[in-house]
Amino acid sequence: MYGLLEISTSGMIAQRTRLSAISANVANRHSVNADGTPYRAKMVFFEPGDASATTAEGRKYGVHVARIEDDPTPFNLRWDPGDPRALKSGPNAGYVQESNVNPVLEQVNAIQATRAYEANAVAAEATKVMIQQALRLLG
Amino acid sequence: MLIRDLMNFGARPALTEAQSFAAGRHRLIINNIANMQTPNYQQQDVSVPGFQKALREAVDRRRESAQGSDNGVFEMPETRELVKGPRGFSTLNPRTDGQGILYHDRNNRDMERLMQNLAENGLQFRFATDVLRQQGELLRAAIGQRA
Repeated sequence: MYGLLEISTSGMIAQRTRLSAISANVANRHSVNADGTPYRAKMVFFEPGDASATTAEGRKYGVHVARIEDDPTPFNLRWDPGDPRALKSGPNAGYVQESNVNPVLEQVNAIQATRAYEANAVAAEATKVMIQQALRLLG
Repeated sequence: MLIRDLMNFGARPALTEAQSFAAGRHRLIINNIANMQTPNYQQQDVSVPGFQKALREAVDRRRESAQGSDNGVFEMPETRELVKGPRGFSTLNPRTDGQGILYHDRNNRDMERLMQNLAENGLQFRFATDVLRQQGELLRAAIGQRA
């Protein structure tokens, strides 16, 4: 029955990782990589099962972060021909490429991740109560 | 023989089965919560009325086999969702019914229903556990008087 707690823990870990990625996206909204390209938003993908669990039950159920990928959507463009980073040629000449982080989307994702984290915490609390009740059978 | 009779007395086997079912279903519910935002994940569950029907059948059959005594043979019928496990209790074979709104990530989560199921199932487990505990205390009291 102790493996039950690992299921909710895996859910909390996954949501916390997602929230970390969202925080990194918001923090790096104006960052530029060492090679001069703007920061690309990170996306977290989940898959069922949790290989890091210590019990067979925990490994069979639960969730884990399968991969963290760069958001492939195009960079945002800002008109600023005086900026040294402005594109010199092509249809977007005069525009400066900026990170593709969408602050509104990140805000919505952050709320979603927080609520999902809370739901897992509630489930863990319910599991704890059930284990306590079962233990009380012993006298 | 005496110990086996004590463990098979009255409603005890039915309560143990109900407790085992609630614990198994709890695992499914919290797994659904953990996978609330997993792409392509379909919620898994087992039918509570289906379990109650099987339990009713088992109790009726036990009553028929008891022939007046309190200790008839209690055996849960196997269904598509309830399979006899290695320790005699039913293990759950959940279904993915595919009901509910399918989100853009092809996950059919339903947060409100999940939380309702979590609360209801917790109460079922608590009911079975409390009655089992009371029976245990009764037995303990009876043994204490005899000593």
